[in-house]
Amino acid sequence: MDSSAGLADKLPSKTVSSNSLDSKSESISLCSRHDVGENGVLRDTPFGYLDGEEDQDQKNDVTYVCPYRGPMFGALTITNYRLNFRSLPLRDQEPPMVVDVPLGVIARVEKIGGATSRGENSYGIEIFCKDMRNLRFAHKQQNHSRRTVFEKLQANAFPLSNNGRLFAFSHAAGNLVNGNGGWDGWAVYEPLAELRRLGVPNDMWRATKLNESYAICDSYPAVWAVPKAASDDFLKRVATFRSRCRLPVLSWMNPRTQATITRCSQPLVGVSGKRNSDDEAYLSFIMEANAQSDKLTIMDARPSANAIANKAKGGGYESEDAYRNVEIHFLDIHNIHVMRESLRKVKEACFPTTDDSKWQTAIDNTLWLKHIRCILAGAVRIVDKVETMSTSVVVHCSDGWDRTAQLTALSMLLLDHYYRTVRGFEVLIEKEWLSFGHKFQQRIGHGDNKHSDADRSPVFLQFIDSVWQVSQQFNNAFEFNEHFLITIVDHLYSCRFGTFLCNTEAERVTEDLKHRTTSLWTHINSSLDQYLNPLFPSFTQRAELVLRPIASVRSVRLWKGLYCRWNPGLCALQRGCQRTRELLSKQDQLFKLVNELRVKSNNRNTSMTTTRLASPMH
Amino acid sequence: MATGGGGGGLGGGATGSAGNADHHKRNTFTSYVAPLPGDLRATADTNEWCLPSDLRDVHLGKPRLLQGEQIVASAPAYMYSPIDPMDSSGSVSGSGSSSSLPSDSHKEAIFGLLSVTNFKLAFVPLHSKRNPVATAAPLIDLYQENAYLGRNEITLNNIDHIYTIAELGRAASALQAARGIASHGISRRKKLEPFKQHNISGRIAALHIVCKNFRLLKFAFQQQDSKIFGSSDQGKLIASALVRFAYPMRHDLSFAYAHREPYYSTLGASGTSMYATKNDWARELIRCGATEWQVVSTASVPLLQNPLQAGKYTVPPHFVIPKSCSVDRFLDLSRAFCDSRAAFWVYSYGSNAALVRLAELQPAAQQDTKLENVMLELVRKCDAGRQLKLLQLTDRLPSIQDVLKAYQKLRRLCTPETPQKFMMQDDKYLSLLEKTNWLFYVSLCLRFASEAAATLRSGVSCVLQESNGRDLCCVVSSLAQLLLDPHFRTIDGFQSLVQKEWVALEHPFQRRLGHVYSAQPAGGNAELLESEQSPVFLLFLDCAWQLLQQFPDEFEFTQTYLTTLWDSCFMPIFDTFQFDTQAQRLKAVRDSQLVLRPVWDWGEQFSDKDKMFFSNPLYQRQKGDLGAQAAAAAHRRSLAVGSRAAHGTATGSTPSRNTMNPQLFSTASSVPQDRFLQPAHRIVDLQVWDQCYYRWLPILDIRGGGQPQVDLFHRLLLSNIAKVQRCLEFQNFDDLPDAYYEATGESRPNQQKDEKPVKEDEAEYVDGVERRRKTTAKAATPTNGLTSMSGNLQLSTLSSFFPFGNPIAGDAPHQLYDILSSSSELLMETSSFLDKSSIV
Repeated sequence: MDSSAGLADKLPSKTVSSNSLDSKSESISLCSRHDVGENGVLRDTPFGYLDGEEDQDQKNDVTYVCPYRGPMFGALTITNYRLNFRSLPLRDQEPPMVVDVPLGVIARVEKIGGATSRGENSYGIEIFCKDMRNLRFAHKQQNHSRRTVFEKLQANAFPLSNNGRLFAFSHAAGNLVNGNGGWDGWAVYEPLAELRRLGVPNDMWRATKLNESYAICDSYPAVWAVPKAASDDFLKRVATFRSRCRLPVLSWMNPRTQATITRCSQPLVGVSGKRNSDDEAYLSFIMEANAQSDKLTIMDARPSANAIANKAKGGGYESEDAYRNVEIHFLDIHNIHVMRESLRKVKEACFPTTDDSKWQTAIDNTLWLKHIRCILAGAVRIVDKVETMSTSVVVHCSDGWDRTAQLTALSMLLLDHYYRTVRGFEVLIEKEWLSFGHKFQQRIGHGDNKHSDADRSPVFLQFIDSVWQVSQQFNNAFEFNEHFLITIVDHLYSCRFGTFLCNTEAERVTEDLKHRTTSLWTHINSSLDQYLNPLFPSFTQRAELVLRPIASVRSVRLWKGLYCRWNPGLCALQRGCQRTRELLSKQDQLFKLVNELRVKSNNRNTSMTTTRLASPMH
Repeated sequence: MATGGGGGGLGGGATGSAGNADHHKRNTFTSYVAPLPGDLRATADTNEWCLPSDLRDVHLGKPRLLQGEQIVASAPAYMYSPIDPMDSSGSVSGSGSSSSLPSDSHKEAIFGLLSVTNFKLAFVPLHSKRNPVATAAPLIDLYQENAYLGRNEITLNNIDHIYTIAELGRAASALQAARGIASHGISRRKKLEPFKQHNISGRIAALHIVCKNFRLLKFAFQQQDSKIFGSSDQGKLIASALVRFAYPMRHDLSFAYAHREPYYSTLGASGTSMYATKNDWARELIRCGATEWQVVSTASVPLLQNPLQAGKYTVPPHFVIPKSCSVDRFLDLSRAFCDSRAAFWVYSYGSNAALVRLAELQPAAQQDTKLENVMLELVRKCDAGRQLKLLQLTDRLPSIQDVLKAYQKLRRLCTPETPQKFMMQDDKYLSLLEKTNWLFYVSLCLRFASEAAATLRSGVSCVLQESNGRDLCCVVSSLAQLLLDPHFRTIDGFQSLVQKEWVALEHPFQRRLGHVYSAQPAGGNAELLESEQSPVFLLFLDCAWQLLQQFPDEFEFTQTYLTTLWDSCFMPIFDTFQFDTQAQRLKAVRDSQLVLRPVWDWGEQFSDKDKMFFSNPLYQRQKGDLGAQAAAAAHRRSLAVGSRAAHGTATGSTPSRNTMNPQLFSTASSVPQDRFLQPAHRIVDLQVWDQCYYRWLPILDIRGGGQPQVDLFHRLLLSNIAKVQRCLEFQNFDDLPDAYYEATGESRPNQQKDEKPVKEDEAEYVDGVERRRKTTAKAATPTNGLTSMSGNLQLSTLSSFFPFGNPIAGDAPHQLYDILSSSSELLMETSSFLDKSSIV
């Protein structure tokens, strides 16, 4: 983002509510204009419908059992995109309580209470969400409203288990009719352009389209950057020695020192300690491509015990004996199952209410912050190698699509200030997460009712959390704010946009997402104002500062703005930023005033053709 | 371990000396108890050092002494960073990683001369010529500098615990001993008890000194050749000097009494009310519109002037009691209460809801609560609505011993001696933090302060009752006033609040802060010794800091101010936090000619640059903030900020200091009723005060990150606004800020080259503002873009604990200094031109 042009644009930005789906804030504003129809029944537009959104069911006598405010009576609407509940306020002045949840967020729907259950609000459905909340609706037993609600939710929240299609496809169809005003978010990431930005091709690295048909590696992108010394045939041979053919490919290069970060999967060493001379030679090519160092560092994201255990399954790690001038470090980051369990505990501690007397111990016991600390520490170690020692680093875990993506993306964010802009961050996600095959479909389980699937894991969420941690330590190093990150997390689940659908680039091409769905970036970039950090146009903006966050539980905090955001008592205060905006706009206003005066006086001066150029107002 | 820059940016300089020192076993340094000034130089000249040759300049190692200060003991020593970064990057690596601590030890310590004086413990690094200190030292300028203390100096008053680490054996060098501490755990770590000064046995290889302000200092001593020096042991020398001087048994042994330097106050124009006179209290009564209350001065009460009677009462010199009650009757009632603390008025809000502090009945009188009821009835009569709420704090808030325990546990978390300990704590940090109870107590204080404030807001008087009415009462009472009254959120107001609640109403600072280790109890029980110690004041400062976090634009002061205030508690030179009672203070002046020097005269300790970091760039001053006592301050600043002086029309500001007849003034409270704060007080909402507690841990220093960057950004914005406003005012656009050219895309006028000599001449005669212009002009001429680039780089290496924390050690580039100094000039300029009220 061009800074000089950006400054003026950014100034009049709005105050941002940090935790809402933007669709929700939209709907609230529409709600206020809503009025009650003839029969005292709600008219059928309680929120702004999105393109392609259609009503599926509506019930006017449902009770939402709010964990904070108690039961509320109102109307429930289910569309193919969302579940919307609007309470009927008892008094006129009282604003209605609105719950608006994209169906994609729903992990599980369960019936509670049966024909025999007694007591108020004990018969209904409970909805378990992927975004750290549960919703409970109570129905009247008599009128059988529960059955249709339950069925419609099942059908629309889990379309892939019910032969349906995800909302993203319907949404884009509507979009095409209306046309989208902004530029296309699908064009944000151009692999070759991004490589050119890093200085590839150069003397040591080349870009190759060897994988254009995804034949060499079906979970890798079409375009790779590889050492020039390695021929295409050679690459094919190296691929055979890496788990799922995910051979080392360039992620980032320091344009100044040519120290690189490359990523791959584990080598297929096995129990017998197999060796592959091509793989060994290939790593030495990577090392030699960096003239600054005669060493290569391999960062194995796993705990060393796990890496050793993987040998039994045919995997393993590079032995320092077999690979010349290579040092290997284990970064002690645990696997997807550990992380899933940890986040489950975070939800337990944060939702619906927190226990103040045991809060800190409860958070400690989730181990979530310790896991975040490990990821940060790993990324800082990579940064240190690449930046301070000018040594190239190879990062891998087992398959190289979970922990590896966390580490490469995070260390690139720390090293390269470009990725700390809105545009750059979008590129980073497109590149390190989407194109290199982080299995979003499996990890999130879009439109799929297998809520206890062992492949689900909050790996990407953990990355976003780590980015937030860095942004908390370096308040002015990011062009975007917390709201931007929360929006990404919200739409990670919402299935409104095509961005996070499918597992690999190959699948996305097959599904033709670029044409059949809208990109999240199109949506975000069309209303940038609310996602910008007012502190960003600041000292470090252009300084090519390498960030080294502190990886200690003392410095890492639980992201209350994300995990505790449903609890109205825990909303964080954002007053400081408001003052910053005021000061910025005051400054801008004065600048404009001076500029006008100067332009005017300059014009006068030129007409008078004075010899003295300085200070025309003297 | 690697260098953490713990030695004030001198880590680089230590490399050579530390390495060389090992070769020189025959160290002939002798130290003297209390040598005359200049003695040390003589020692160095006549008795040649066998340390590296450049260390012959040992007189350079002599600490700068204040008037009345004497060196008690000196010894060469190595200073270690409190805890070293585990990687060179300063990050904590994940546990179980294959690369453990870097083994190169030569950078971990700084060699120098460690001295104990009657005022401080001073370490002066001795630098080898290969790494001249000049490269790193100037960086220190931007960080907080104290006129009385260097970066490696602490007052003896600040020392809480001293641990000795026994020598590990003949073969071990001092460096190995220090490292051995890490590997062998703390088994050889022994705490020195204040009254066991003759009990130091065995050789001392190293000392760990834990300070009351969360600092941990580590020194190691070189082993000595016993054939020449017999049993003399440098560690022991220092340790026994410390034990003797750091734990004075009488207050008049404090350095304050030796330091005879006269004090010339510059506080005269300040808006800080000292509550030292009857008028101060009367003004506060008027400001609050408290018409039902009267000020009593002991000097005008015959009963209290009677030497036979006065001893029965321990009342402060001035206090405020209900008008409906005669002084004699009040004093009679007060005898039933602990420390004679019967119902002192401290504040009124709205239409006469009063905040009152009350002690509990004496243990002997507790059976009969009649007197308490009589007292409460008197207070109730003063309330407009005849309503009153009694908030008993003793059972609801921690005892002072609880506060001390929490503080000690918290400090343990903040002063790990080794990286291993740090990581062990880190692994279950939040649980450990919870176990300290510190945040729980902060949460309780905020909760009851909110409750008290809400009571007053609802128009009901509130009585805070605590056993002696002088500890947690102070916390809750002053917090409630911070919540209610914007005046107390200004710097002057806050200082007045501390004077009123803590100093004038006699919080026992001397006992609570451990300024004096009174009579030695039988058996030297350390627990007993500490039973009177308790950092109640820190608890209050922490609560204030939490409010600052929640309401960042409501306070005129910054967290730096609060942290500095805590540090200042241990400066014996300032009397503010040195005494239990006013009587004690007056006695010290009378009997020992003690020079009284209020801590609020910040210019005594700090330069203008450092004082600048006390004021919050986000603060928005509003009309109502200028209460009665702030008028003088407004006048003082009126030159700089014209519009603010115009607001100084608050009631009863200047007229007639002598006649304080309330009838002359409006009886209505001049406290705005719409600017109260309602803080969140649950533990979930609280944070650890990292600047105050973590600042000595370089391992937690986020280089280029944290709050200082945000703070500086706002200062820069204010400075830009002020500059442009000035340009508009004078219609002269020569000195527009860099941001202007960036924002408008206008090219900077390039005529500066021709005018440069003129400008430099001009700069000779003018103050900082113009000098700044000179530097920009110079730098800007060749390449405009580059100046700002390097400027950014500069600020990006600031400590996140700035202005505390450590400047970068070792190889900081030369040009950094230039930019630092120019940016600090820029910031000073900001402070004088802040016209906050004119910004919407």
